[in-house]
This record gives sequence, C-alpha cells and structure tokens, in this order.
Amino acid sequence: MKIRHVVATLCWCIAAASGATEFQTLDRVAAARVVNPSSHTMPTIVALWSSECVHCKKNLKLFVEMAKADRGFRLVTVAVEPQVAELGEPLDLLAVPGQRFAYGAESPEALGYALDPKWRGELPRTIFFDGKGGKTAVSGVVTEATVRASLGLQANP
Amino acid sequence: MVSVATPRSATRRAMMAVLGAFVIANAGAADAQPVQHMHGTAGAKPARPELGTSAAFAPDDALYAVTKDGQHVLLHRSADEGRNWEAPVVVNAEPEQISADGENRPKLAFDADGAALVSWTRPLAKRFTGEIRFARADDRRHFTAPITVHRDRQEITHRFESLAVTGAGKVVLAWIDKRDLELAQAANRDYRGAAIYAAISDDGGRSFRAERKIADHSCECCRIAITGDTDGLPLLMWRHVFEPNERDHAVVKLGADGAPGQVVRATFDRWRIDACPHHGPSLAVAPDGTRHAVWFNEKGGEGRVFYGRQKDGRVDRQRALGGERAAHADIATAGRRVAIVWKEFDGERTLLRAEVSADGGATFNARALAGTGGASDQPRVIRRGDALFAFWRTENEGMQGYWLE
Repeated sequence: MKIRHVVATLCWCIAAASGATEFQTLDRVAAARVVNPSSHTMPTIVALWSSECVHCKKNLKLFVEMAKADRGFRLVTVAVEPQVAELGEPLDLLAVPGQRFAYGAESPEALGYALDPKWRGELPRTIFFDGKGGKTAVSGVVTEATVRASLGLQANP
Repeated sequence: MVSVATPRSATRRAMMAVLGAFVIANAGAADAQPVQHMHGTAGAKPARPELGTSAAFAPDDALYAVTKDGQHVLLHRSADEGRNWEAPVVVNAEPEQISADGENRPKLAFDADGAALVSWTRPLAKRFTGEIRFARADDRRHFTAPITVHRDRQEITHRFESLAVTGAGKVVLAWIDKRDLELAQAANRDYRGAAIYAAISDDGGRSFRAERKIADHSCECCRIAITGDTDGLPLLMWRHVFEPNERDHAVVKLGADGAPGQVVRATFDRWRIDACPHHGPSLAVAPDGTRHAVWFNEKGGEGRVFYGRQKDGRVDRQRALGGERAAHADIATAGRRVAIVWKEFDGERTLLRAEVSADGGATFNARALAGTGGASDQPRVIRRGDALFAFWRTENEGMQGYWLE
C-alpha cells in the first residue's frame, strides 16, 4: 500500500469516526425513515431532545449508561431545533453515541408531525423500536425498566 | 539476511498499526451503530430567523411590534394595521444576546403617557441561564440604555419574562427564576421545578423595586400570562408543578405593592410528567370579572388546547379548542367580546384559527384566518379600544394582522 493511500484511508477513518458526533440535517423524508419500524432491524431508541429541555439530560444519561453495558440496541438522537455551533455540547459532555440529527429548514410543525403525529412538543420524547416491527412513544423522563420493556430487551436481574 | 529498518518503512508500519486500530474501532462502532443512509445534508446549518414577536397598539392607535434581529431588539411601527411597516428603531444600541424563539420573545407595552416599554431575556454563557432586561422610550424612538431588572446577579435562570402595565399605571415584570432551586441543590434538598419572581416599577419603568418571590414550584420553561383584574391589579397564570409532578396551572393576584396573594390552582387535568411542555397559558378578565383562560395539557392520554373559565377555585365550561394539533393559544377580551387564536398544523400547512364571542363567552364563532407553509411564531390577540386583533408572524409572510369582528 502506497503511503499516500494509507494516509488517505487514515483520514477517511478519522472522518468516519468523528462523523458520529456531526449532525445530519433532518427533513421530512429523513424523519419518516427514522421513525419507520422497518428501518430498525435491531432494538433502537430515537431520542428527541433540545437545548432548552432541562429534563432531556436525565434520559440521555440513562441511555448512555445502558449503551455502555449492553450493545444490543442502537441510539439515534434528534435535536428538535436547527443546528448551531454549540448544539452538540450536551451530547458530547455525556458522550452520547450514535447518529445525530438536527432540524432542517422545513417548519418545525411539519418535522414534528413527520416524526410523531401524536407528539405535541413536550420534551423529552422517546420513540422505542423493538427491532421486530414494534414501536412505542413515551414523553418525559423514563426508567431503565421502561426502556428495556419498550425495546423488548430482557429485564435486568 | 538481516532486515534493516529504514525511517520510511518504520513510518509505514506505524501508520498501518494506527490504521488497523481505526478500522477495528470503526468496525466495532459500525456494529453497535450501523449507519443508515438518510436523506439530508450532514452538517448543513439552516438559516432560520427566530420569530418570537410581541405586538401592541399604542395610544396613537398605531400598531407596534418588537422582534429580534441578531443581537438587537427592534421596534416596528405600522400606521395601517400591519399592511406596511416603517423602518424599525433599535431598542438596545449595544449588541447583546436575546431570546426570541418558542416560549421566549421580546415583550412590548405602553404606559399611560404612550412611552414604549420593552423587555427581553438575555441568555448568559451557561446553559439555561439569563437576565431580564428592560428599556423605555418616552417618544417611542429613543430608548434608554437597557437595565437588568433583578438584584440577583447570579449566572442562573432568570428567563421567560412577561411584561404588563397595570390599571394603576405600575409596570410588572414576572419571570421564571431558579435561585431557590440552586439553594436547594446546594443543600442536597429536593425542589420541584423553578420559581416565579416579579418586580414592580412605580415610575413607568425608570426604576424597579427589588424583586420578590411570587410562588415556588413553577414549571421550568413555559411562558407566564399576565393580565389586569377588574380593579387594575395584575393577575398571573403559569404552569405549576403540583405534587408529585402534576403539571397543571396556578393563578395569583398581586397587590399594589407587588405582594402576592394566595396561589390558587387553576386547572385540574393532572398531567403527571417530568418533561418540558414548552406550552404556556393565557388569561383574560372580562369587565364583569369573568376569568377566561386557554392552556395546553394532556388529559386522558391526549394533549389538547383547552378553553375554560376560572370560577370559585374550579374550572367552568372546559372544552378542547380546534383539532388534535391545536397549539399555543392566546386570549383577550374587550367589553363583551372574547377572542381566542391558536395555530394548528393540518399535515401540510400551519393554520391560524380563531374563535370569537360577542356575548361574553356564551357562544363562540370559529373561523380560519390564515395559513403558512413555513415556520411561524405563536399567534397573539391584542386590543385597540373595544376591538380585538389577531397578530401572527410567519417566516414566509412576515407580520400580519386580522381584525376579529
């Protein structure tokens, strides 16, 4: 392997590794895909949060702790506000893994409706997928037992 | 044969080792978090203006509005009820951070002499912190330098302020304040939610008395409603956190000196949740003393905007407004007239809808006023004499008004 190829591959790997902490802009098409149960072949948490939400941190912290102990589910976060320079800071401080989305230019009402027609803007809002077609949406701070049950994971002994 | 390590081959081996480590690390990450291709552009930053706007009619009958433009609050004037707007006046000459989105927006009121009074929340560096700012212009063009209204200067939450001029000519500012929560946390004590604090000015906003606590245990990020009671004294309504975590609403009346009366529960939907609804109430008092309110709550598993009258510590005639996605209602009265506006997403567009009563709220007529395909602020009902006016700012159409006849 030529050195320049090694360097290029290395750069790609660094970019891919750091890509987990970059935001993807959410439009209605992406929102519909994120919340489509058939998009999730393994248990998945889609966590809606915002920088104005004082209760969101509690859920995110729980999801991070659970993810460290159990790699049997995925975590996707959606900031329900446009991306600004410091938007990722709360996620970085908690070392929240997984894909990160932030609202794009479409109206917040349209994006919220695409994510969850029953959701009325309260945060945190979490959409759980069990990876077998099952989907549950819950508002507010959740417990580990709720998370595990909603993801179809075995309860902790 | 002896292999001789050259600097170049050593570099290559080191790079391969690092590359191997990255590939393994990324393979693990991919296993745990398989990346799906999603529509949309990674890292793109949408340029969306913060649309939070307040409007009021001045004693000269002109329509005024305050908006945020970068680090300035602007005062706009329209002599033709919002069809055309004059070049705006800058409220704060020195730039500073300003909250103007969602439940936050600059506020506007006029005192009896016609002076423009403007308040806003200035976010500070730490998350969830801010200061309540206030400026005044006798001639509605040249503003005094903004002041911070509260004596407490900790870098904590003083946010989501509301502004009103009472019938007795006093200026009231009320806001959500976390000094009591901070004290409780420092002492390792539990404390539900935040607190409501208020400051009163006896001289038209030239100076404010020291702020005082109105109530413990408010919700953390919903706008506060202020209106005048029939005797001109201020009534405040806010989302409260009743034990253990019921996010209903409370009302209190302030005395002439700003001292709070008894805090009374105003809604009984019993929405038990640890969450931020971002959805504050609105309150209006008719000349006969009837208190008309609109609010959002989840009841029976469904989140709805409600209308009701507060009577003797209970809610009378409570009913849901609009459809399932009605949101951010506002209410005002003028004589026997009662008007409610709200916005409602229909799956494609956001509609501005209204209900208007000409008989003190005995009957209401529903109507659709406007619609937009883009982002929009919360709508407001404002008053000019005996008439009520719906005001709505949208990203695509700008600031528009509609008489509610």
